[in-house]
Amino acid sequence: MIEIDRVSQVFRTSGRQDHLALSEISLDIGDGAFVSILGPSGCGKSTLLYIVGGFVNPTEGVARMQGKPITGPGPDRGPVFQEFALFPWKSVLGNVMYGPRQQGIKPGEAEAQSRALIEMVGLKGFEDFYPKELSGGMKQRVALARTLAYHPAVLLMDEPFGALDAHTRTRLQNDLLNIWERDRKTVLFVTHSVEEAVFLSDKVVVMTRSPGRIKQVVDIDLPRPRRRAELLLDSHFQKYVVDIERMIDDTGEDRLLP
Amino acid sequence: MNWVRGLLSRLAPLWACLGLLGLWQAAALILNTDSFPTALEAIRAIPAILGDKESLINILASLRRMAIGFSLAVAVSIPLGLMMGRSRGVAAFFNPLLMVIYPVPKAALMPIIMLWLGVGDIAKTLVIFLGVSLPVIYHSFEGAKAVEEKMLWSGAAMGMSAAKRLIRIVLPAALPEILTGCRTGIVLALITMVTSEMIARQSGAGNILFNSLDMGQYDTVYAMIIIIGAMGIGLDAAFERLRARLVKWSEPGFDIPLSFA
Repeated sequence: MIEIDRVSQVFRTSGRQDHLALSEISLDIGDGAFVSILGPSGCGKSTLLYIVGGFVNPTEGVARMQGKPITGPGPDRGPVFQEFALFPWKSVLGNVMYGPRQQGIKPGEAEAQSRALIEMVGLKGFEDFYPKELSGGMKQRVALARTLAYHPAVLLMDEPFGALDAHTRTRLQNDLLNIWERDRKTVLFVTHSVEEAVFLSDKVVVMTRSPGRIKQVVDIDLPRPRRRAELLLDSHFQKYVVDIERMIDDTGEDRLLP
Repeated sequence: MNWVRGLLSRLAPLWACLGLLGLWQAAALILNTDSFPTALEAIRAIPAILGDKESLINILASLRRMAIGFSLAVAVSIPLGLMMGRSRGVAAFFNPLLMVIYPVPKAALMPIIMLWLGVGDIAKTLVIFLGVSLPVIYHSFEGAKAVEEKMLWSGAAMGMSAAKRLIRIVLPAALPEILTGCRTGIVLALITMVTSEMIARQSGAGNILFNSLDMGQYDTVYAMIIIIGAMGIGLDAAFERLRARLVKWSEPGFDIPLSFA
């Protein structure tokens, strides 16, 4: 269980005015839930994720994990970044083994687990490749395997498919859901794609910009396991997408008409 | 025919050397003065130098000082540069200091250093140390600064402490940049080595060079230049091979992503 309790974040800018990135955010995320944070760029949704990760300390308020205040990063919360952030001097296998080795798991055991994970994310045969030799989609698969390898209770995904082309993105969404169905970890997923959020999530948190606030939390009541081809024709799915898109439009700022 | 072309391009540095020697030979023959021996005369003087025990001891002493100065400089500069790159406080403390030292020619400090430490090994090694330190600190600093924040966050999430992240993530991530600094450092080590021996003439390759200049033994002067030059080329080539091996993962030639989701 993650509790975000009246969290605010102020960034000092080079100008005179401080920027209020997040304003009094409160949100509870239950164990095993797939929750997306959706909003326009600059609404502080990534910052909120970094606060849960312990990478950023909130200016005010507190985030708790299983009742304990989050004071820094830890292996119970595994991040997956849009930038992949792989270790370029390590092979695919070396990257995936890195976390287990840090946790003191013996090399043989860590390697066996890592090879299994690499196969699970669909990269069997690429164990000895270096990140430079991989496409964006493959890099993100490695990054996911690297994070899963140290068994975090929560996955923190920061626009993980944002840098990928549409086709690759769809494939990774499907594969992510398949992997998630196996052990149903808690997932906090940041995105600006409404369709992606509705397709993947149990709950979509819609945010507004300047300052970042929660506009609404939408429960996505669609059966699992979800099949993309069926959902796209499903009127409930379509209604969720249209409703949420309208919500985002209503937040104002980007309207062209007076 | 392909292997011929391969051989030709692999031996390109050799052709460049031969070309230079040829030009030298021609120029010396045309000018025909005592102070400018021909390339052949200079080359002919090399075995005499390398066969002489005294000269050999001098050259080895130079190399030893250079190795010690270089190693100490690298051992101090890499950790310092990395810490400066990752900590604003450390950078703020050392940056002004380095900015003042950076443009000062290290050889110009030699008289002061000699005054304190004499003309022996310590003074000369210290000058080499100073010469090598700055490029290595600078490149380590730049390399560490450029390390992606998210890479360090990934390490932190695995439970790595700040010290561990510095050694296990910042160091390897910055290694290509660090080694670029070290390569500059090697050449500077050679330059400061010769200069220090030129100022404090007591032993070393630079000592032979300038003593023979004073005595008008011009073929020995030029032979020493060839020997020192060859040492530089050899060291640089050896280091470049080592570097290419260590950072194979970052080489641009490697950069052909596979097309597969």
